[in-house]
Amino acid sequence: MNSVSFDTRTRHGATFSNVVLILVILFLFLPLFVIITYSFSASKSMEFTTFSLKWYTQLFFDSDELWSAFLNSAVIALSSAAVATVIASGAAIGIMWYRFKGRQYIQILSFLPMVLPEVIIGISMLIFFSAVRLPLGLITIFIAHTTFNLPFVYLLVTARLDEFDISTVEAARDLGANEAQSLVKVVIPSILPGMLSGFLMAVTMSLEDFVITFFVSGPGSTTLPLYVYSMIRYGVSPVINALSFVLILSIMLIAFAMRRFLKTIAASS
Amino acid sequence: MKRSSRLGITYAGPMGLWLTIFFLTPLFIIILYSVLKKGLYGGVEWTFSSAAYRQLVNPAFAKVLFRTLTVSVTATAITMALALPCGYAMARSSHQSLFLGLVIVPFWTNSLIRIYAWIAILSSRGFANELLKQLHIIEESLSLIYNQGAVITVLVYMYIPFAILPLFTTIDSFDFQLLEAARDLGASRFTSITRVLLPNIRSGIITSGVFTFIPIFGAYTVPLLVGGKDSYMIGNIIVDQVTKTRNWPLASAISLIITLVSTVGVMWMLMAGAQEKRERAQSLRKAGTR
Amino acid sequence: MNHHRTLISYLLFTALFSFLILVTTGCSKDENNGESSKADNTLYLFNWTYYTPESVIEAFEAEYGVNVVLDYFASNEDMFAKLKGGGSGYDVVFPSQDYAEIMIREKMVIPLDHAKLDNLRYISPLVREKATYDPDMAYAVPYYLGASGIAVMKDSLEEYPRDWSIFSDSRFRNRMSMLDDMREVMGAALAHLGYSVNSLNPDELEAATRLINEQWKPNIVKFDAEGFAKAFSSGEFSVVHGYGEAVFEEIEEERWDEVDFFLPGEGGPMYLDSMMIPVTAKHVDLAHLFINFIHRPEMYAQFLDRFRFPSTVHTEAEQYRTTEPIYSGDALAAYELKMDLGENLSLYDELWQTIRYDD
Repeated sequence: MNSVSFDTRTRHGATFSNVVLILVILFLFLPLFVIITYSFSASKSMEFTTFSLKWYTQLFFDSDELWSAFLNSAVIALSSAAVATVIASGAAIGIMWYRFKGRQYIQILSFLPMVLPEVIIGISMLIFFSAVRLPLGLITIFIAHTTFNLPFVYLLVTARLDEFDISTVEAARDLGANEAQSLVKVVIPSILPGMLSGFLMAVTMSLEDFVITFFVSGPGSTTLPLYVYSMIRYGVSPVINALSFVLILSIMLIAFAMRRFLKTIAASS
Repeated sequence: MKRSSRLGITYAGPMGLWLTIFFLTPLFIIILYSVLKKGLYGGVEWTFSSAAYRQLVNPAFAKVLFRTLTVSVTATAITMALALPCGYAMARSSHQSLFLGLVIVPFWTNSLIRIYAWIAILSSRGFANELLKQLHIIEESLSLIYNQGAVITVLVYMYIPFAILPLFTTIDSFDFQLLEAARDLGASRFTSITRVLLPNIRSGIITSGVFTFIPIFGAYTVPLLVGGKDSYMIGNIIVDQVTKTRNWPLASAISLIITLVSTVGVMWMLMAGAQEKRERAQSLRKAGTR
Repeated sequence: MNHHRTLISYLLFTALFSFLILVTTGCSKDENNGESSKADNTLYLFNWTYYTPESVIEAFEAEYGVNVVLDYFASNEDMFAKLKGGGSGYDVVFPSQDYAEIMIREKMVIPLDHAKLDNLRYISPLVREKATYDPDMAYAVPYYLGASGIAVMKDSLEEYPRDWSIFSDSRFRNRMSMLDDMREVMGAALAHLGYSVNSLNPDELEAATRLINEQWKPNIVKFDAEGFAKAFSSGEFSVVHGYGEAVFEEIEEERWDEVDFFLPGEGGPMYLDSMMIPVTAKHVDLAHLFINFIHRPEMYAQFLDRFRFPSTVHTEAEQYRTTEPIYSGDALAAYELKMDLGENLSLYDELWQTIRYDD
């Protein structure tokens, strides 16, 4: 498939789009540069006065609450994104390739959580959870986040499957592969970019969400956005800028380490 | 093509079940709330009332709705126009995961912080104005913030990765030999893209439009923080009705209308997409047998 | 293929791993709630951000050997919507007067046991008089009485009116902001015209709305309750209507001289935040201990020092403080508490829509 034709692709015609891509990435990183610059400024406000590491000192030595909020966010984001990716990818395969009772029902239901305003989802889930006496906490946040992540992953994987050539699966089955084998060897590899994008998007949405989380969180389950948004009245502390930089730096390091790791694995096999 | 129904249920069942329990039930609560009397202090009283739907007929809402539509359509159009070449370039690149990371990672910083950064960039002594002054393009600071332009800029910024991802994933599975074949048959670069590439990645375009338009339509924080005194949007009204005015039935009613309209819109797009795909497949098959 | 398989295993691994963490942390939290020995040792506060200094919380934890968990809200409305929708588990909440009144009336809070609250003797009688909804502190113990004011960057102009009419001053056009808060802005206009901030008289409300729409709104850049302090500090706005602590939080102390923060002389709306115990609280004794602890004069002085607040509710704390307040509490004499409007909320809401929804 396309992974084979990787090297044979012609490059011409990609120049304009490459320029746009670079510009858009610069556009996306512009606020980040601002945040990083301010994280090294002594000033509390959004301006650069003198160089200072005080926000980093505060971040590492005097921000227990911030770190516990961050931990909560990370756990929720990863778990809800992973669960949503698995459930929604399954649903995308089922709905695209099979005809069964309730197919249309699931199809309509699958994008509704995306449409309903956040505050309404938040309130209604809160009422629901308290009606079924599920104590508010990390579990309820996890459920809520998985719910609003499902449509995004589902649609991304569906868009990918839409262009997928079903005959490859049929070929695999003709060669004697059973359902599980053809799923793991043929289907998943080819929809993987969709699943990966969906997973990344779900992590992003979960790390971002404030409104829904506010309503379904319980005592002691403050997430990072809850923590940051609650500062709105008194001014958001630059410690958050410092945290952002540390976060981005570590993500980049992890990605780099994984790249090396992946290469070694590929080489050894 | 469509095979055993047992397997279909196995694949799709978990999501159906999940959404039925955790989404449909709460949704019914909202439908119910919209036809109840508003509680004086939020919540509802258990008596039937159509007050919420009558309150919807309000010229002030119409005005805000119109403004929201204008902003959302503009922002979505700009986002898509930028996202298409990006998705294309990413799909054709040999560093896909690098670019995927570059597009997503900036968004793992809290949005409030990023919006504040935009305020700093666009303010009168901010980065954008200073740069333009350094380049001697302007002498006096421009007012770049607290207006609709700023709202649209930041909305585009906030949602462009959501538009890029679906485009990237579909373009990535597109067979580029088709494009070359079209060029070989004498099509210009432009026609080969509009006639061959775009129809083939239709589902990606639709998904990306939906991903962008819907969240922008419900945007709340961006108009609040970078908008001016004329930037109020539907999202702000709904939040205000839940919290400030404590009119839960009205908030429910507005949300239901939005949901209904978007459902119809999305269903129409999905069906149009499926229809077109079927026709295309048929014509391809015909072409193949000839 | 190999590449793909590793990615899949990464994905599955993340799923499994994070789900395990979630389940373990979730379970341990549940255990906390169920297990009596540990549960009795944790106090859950639902508070405005930064509103209780860490030093006070730490002192409380050390003295009673307990654990305090803080959760935050950014507005009374958010907090109320959450409790109303079924949010529970908090032991002490900090609503302002209008929501304190509503929560008493809606039976969402429990009556306090005064035998456990001997420090209530330090609460100023004047404040209790103002708290007409609960003058005997049966449900609500005053925490802080304050008001929004106006901050002016001194270098922007030499002469300016030090009252609400500053917003009519076109010399500041497009360099001013007012709070995005119906009661605060309407209240300011009503007070400026000499009416009560809780007025229900349609003519008075009409006049206030006209004042805002015709005189004030053309001069201000926006209604802003979130970013005004940052924008003021960076010089984008020269005059802002807002909370003093937010303004000074954003500006380094060396620059405090450049700022003139005042409460307009003609009066305006003020707020009184109180401590209350919700009916769903699980640690009622601990909640009483905490409320009493806050009003120890040395402890309350730490709160005043943290925000440079004037001492408005506490009669004894003043002598323990080490800082000067950022504004004078005397001006509050002319101020009026914003009371709950009940059914009449829609009266204000309709007028506010003409201010906020229109261009």
